[in-house]
Amino acid sequence: MTTRSPSHFGLTMICEENGMPIDQDKLGEIYGRVGMGNQTQLGIMGSNRDISVGEIFMIYSHRDGHERVFFFRVLGLENYLRQVDDMSRIASTLMVEGDAYLSGIERNMLLSVGGRMLGYAEKDGDKWVFRSPRRLPDHLASVYRPVPGTSDAFVREMLQEQTDGDIFVGDLQVGEATLDVPVKIPAKFLPMHVGIFGSTGSGKSNLMMVLIKSIIDTNLAALRRPNDDLTRVSAFCIDPHDEFAKGVDRYGIQHVIEAMSKETRSDVIGDFYYLTTHKGATPREIRRYARDIRILWSEIQPRDLYSIMEFSPQMSSFIDAQYASEGEKWISSILAMDEDPEGAPKGTLRAVKRRLRFLERSPIYVESNPAPILGDIFVAMETGRILVVNTSLMSDREQFLLTTIVTRTLSDMRRALKSSGNLGDFEKQATMRLPKSFFKRVKAKALAFYGKGGTAEDTPVQDPRDLPVIQITVEEAPSILNPELMRGQSVFKDISRQGRKFNIGLLVVSQQVSVLDNVILSQMNTEINLRLGNEREIRSCIDNASVNISGFENEFRVMSRGEAIVTASYRELPLPVRIPLFDTVFERDKHTYKNDGKRKAEKYTL
Amino acid sequence: MQQMASVGPLSLSLTQRVLPFYDSAMTLKRRAAGSSELFSMLEKILTEKFRQTLRMVFTDIENQINRRDEEEFAKDELRIKEDLLSQVETYPADVLLDEDFLVAAVDGSGTDSLAVYDDVRVHLLSTSTVVLDTNTRSENLFSPVDRSALEREVGEQPYIDAHWHSGVRGDARKKLAETLVNVYPLKDIVDLILPFFRDFTNGRINSYSDLAGTEYGKYAPRLKEMESLISREQILTNPTVHEEIRKASEYAAIRKVLMSNIRPRYVLIDGAMSVFMHFVRHYPSMPTGFMLRDLCELARKNDVILCAVSKNHTIPFAHKIAKMAREKFGEGAKWFCHLPCKDDPGGGLHIYEDRTYIPPMLAVPYLFSFSRDNRPSRIDFDRIWWLQNVFVPDDPHATRENEKALFRELEFMSRDARWYGYPVPLALAHESCKLSYEDLRLAREICQDVRTEMGYDNKKSEPLRADYDL
Repeated sequence: MTTRSPSHFGLTMICEENGMPIDQDKLGEIYGRVGMGNQTQLGIMGSNRDISVGEIFMIYSHRDGHERVFFFRVLGLENYLRQVDDMSRIASTLMVEGDAYLSGIERNMLLSVGGRMLGYAEKDGDKWVFRSPRRLPDHLASVYRPVPGTSDAFVREMLQEQTDGDIFVGDLQVGEATLDVPVKIPAKFLPMHVGIFGSTGSGKSNLMMVLIKSIIDTNLAALRRPNDDLTRVSAFCIDPHDEFAKGVDRYGIQHVIEAMSKETRSDVIGDFYYLTTHKGATPREIRRYARDIRILWSEIQPRDLYSIMEFSPQMSSFIDAQYASEGEKWISSILAMDEDPEGAPKGTLRAVKRRLRFLERSPIYVESNPAPILGDIFVAMETGRILVVNTSLMSDREQFLLTTIVTRTLSDMRRALKSSGNLGDFEKQATMRLPKSFFKRVKAKALAFYGKGGTAEDTPVQDPRDLPVIQITVEEAPSILNPELMRGQSVFKDISRQGRKFNIGLLVVSQQVSVLDNVILSQMNTEINLRLGNEREIRSCIDNASVNISGFENEFRVMSRGEAIVTASYRELPLPVRIPLFDTVFERDKHTYKNDGKRKAEKYTL
Repeated sequence: MQQMASVGPLSLSLTQRVLPFYDSAMTLKRRAAGSSELFSMLEKILTEKFRQTLRMVFTDIENQINRRDEEEFAKDELRIKEDLLSQVETYPADVLLDEDFLVAAVDGSGTDSLAVYDDVRVHLLSTSTVVLDTNTRSENLFSPVDRSALEREVGEQPYIDAHWHSGVRGDARKKLAETLVNVYPLKDIVDLILPFFRDFTNGRINSYSDLAGTEYGKYAPRLKEMESLISREQILTNPTVHEEIRKASEYAAIRKVLMSNIRPRYVLIDGAMSVFMHFVRHYPSMPTGFMLRDLCELARKNDVILCAVSKNHTIPFAHKIAKMAREKFGEGAKWFCHLPCKDDPGGGLHIYEDRTYIPPMLAVPYLFSFSRDNRPSRIDFDRIWWLQNVFVPDDPHATRENEKALFRELEFMSRDARWYGYPVPLALAHESCKLSYEDLRLAREICQDVRTEMGYDNKKSEPLRADYDL
């Protein structure tokens, strides 16, 4: 049965008896009316308010019995005076005739607002669904400006599909204000790679800290509600300026760790979370949770080096031959050689040794060490933990190699897992792929992680997609994710294409989009686009985005530090986001770390 | 032709640039099409022959009009320069008036062919009343008064109405009278006509009974019905009917303002205060003439200054007066010029001695300019009011001071940057009442819609010129 109800136009609307019409007051304050436009670009006439580029308006529409809320993003503004066709003439009269005024002008001062239609939300049964902009609002539909404090709940409800997830990035930005609508990335999409693009000073470090905290929160929630089957996320986070642990301003990840009870801390971070080249140089409070980065030469494979520096075909043939004959001792054997081996062109040995020299000098790549870290990294990543890796005292090459080794090791382990039906198969596969000495050290743990209820040979194995999602940061991405290196045997080429099979994703951090290899860009499904340095990067960013953000150039030009546009292929809506300061979110949440979830539940039971 | 129009150096005129190409193109075209093709109007306009025709016309104007103008104007030149022309002493931009005041303005618009159904013509009228407050104590000079308060006093704004009559069944006069009766608030026709007679006869005729025994006695019975006040029946064309209704609608709005609690100091109307008189009967030939005098009397009673402003003023030699003002006062100066009648000291001016309605009956016109970028306009005041409030017998200096005070205020309300030099209340009223092409198109659609709703047949209703796509 349908009922007729009057609309504010005095026309009757037909509403489904079972559905409630939208309470338009919840949309915010009425701002203006739709003027000209089509389903992608719209012009709005609105009040003379302090509107900024980037604001999001909501347009209420009711056509053919379908109630919809269209979302519109301001991309351009123009002053408009009713009854005046030629503003320049008026302005020049005001200039020339010093006594001129404008009578009753306030009510005639309007803004002509142009922008993009982002899409629309409509109810599908009980749920709000968001769709791409393939429809148009009503003629002269009312336009609403969201008001923080009034519109938040309703917007959150309407955009839940588009904003909900596990890893918090920031709050939905509407102009210069934000709504209480958290924008999150679902953990299941992390293996499809995330890009963080922003120039120096755009707020990348703060964003990384907010993401790390959010991953910790996600893992904490999974721990506290084991029956809810929440995803755990592991993160290997490169900290190029040693900021994350101590913090940029007042607080850092260390404070999150310290705010936890001993038991919680152990569950969340295990024994350590901080990796550095020299633990002794670390502040005392962090040192408790720190480890020295020591990677054995035997844990390095030729591919790892091929991924970070260029080798000629002759050099790589020579290296592969050495690896085939010497196995894990290939590096020390090459460094010990004096003459070019038979068959290799003259000078090959010297050139290879020159490239390997940094391994000799590096404090983190060692021939032997009583406490190599790679195994511990593997365990941490398979148990849903975060690792903050201080690379400020490393050279670029050392940092890139570390990222590569960790990425390759974890992906080889999971590839072996994926290729196996039971633990027996897995052991065979892993032995083939990984350095023997490394696998021997981690085998027991690996079998425990990967076996479904047991460690016997015939125990079936887990699907990698049921294991924690692993995120690996690639900092200074153009240095290793450029077309030249990606053409070769780069570890990252495989991960780019196949990472999702193994539940491993890259977090690509870069100041430039234009120089990154297309393979990684085309596979990337989530982009957090911060302020960029120049027009070329803005253009590249827009071209690369997983959602159509053409026309957003103006917005990038005026973006402030800490503001971003989040685009994702699994969403229809590009989301403008304000990333809060880490200190702010920590202050807000620190009390939650203290409480043991169980104790809180008991309190309520009583 | 558009392509051709873009060639040639810019120092030459458009036609000079286009002609060489045009001539050769036309030769080719004629050869191709044969000799019997039709020429378009544009082709004719671009010919040298047309240019020659224009030269003859302009030479004629120069010889007959402009030269004669010099001789005629010379007779009044000194008097205008010395006695009648004056500079406006303007208020400073940040003036704080001792007492702020209200200014009301009314303007009307419409169409005489909203719809045409067979031989019936439907007119649409729109009228708008605007009231502004000088508001010198705030930054919002001449701010509109609260709209709801205004509408409580004078009704919905803007106001629209319709009229119809058949142009071919001799019902124009009757239907016009009906509409005028409906529109104008003063329903008693005797009360309507008496103000004219009181003013015109200087109080000699003060009541209906006073008509007897005068030259108007035989017309007295006609002066009791609206229909019989309409003398110009022979020329009740649609435009004439429309003009009369529009004026009546404007005057009706003014009456509502004058009868309300608004109490403006000024009421501005668009147009002149000319009252066209019946050649034989010596009273207004149309009801609006009486209405105007009714308003003048009411305004005087309520201490309101009624002014009529017209851009299209038909004052001869206005351009020469403007030139004189520029020479006397400087290029950017603001000025006014009284246009006296034969009863004023010094009599009327030679430049309009053969014009019946300049100055208009019972009104005092001025030419004025408040803006260097526009041609001068005209403003008329009620002569009775003018004699009581501006003119000081035997004291031209005092008269001049009164005029200056009046024009100082008029100029002050004419500084809106959108219409600099024109009174802003009138400009706003005009903006508010005007009907755009789109408004009219929509109104026509609504006509069709309403007819359909009422079950009437859907006949063609556009103006007749729309037929055949012409």
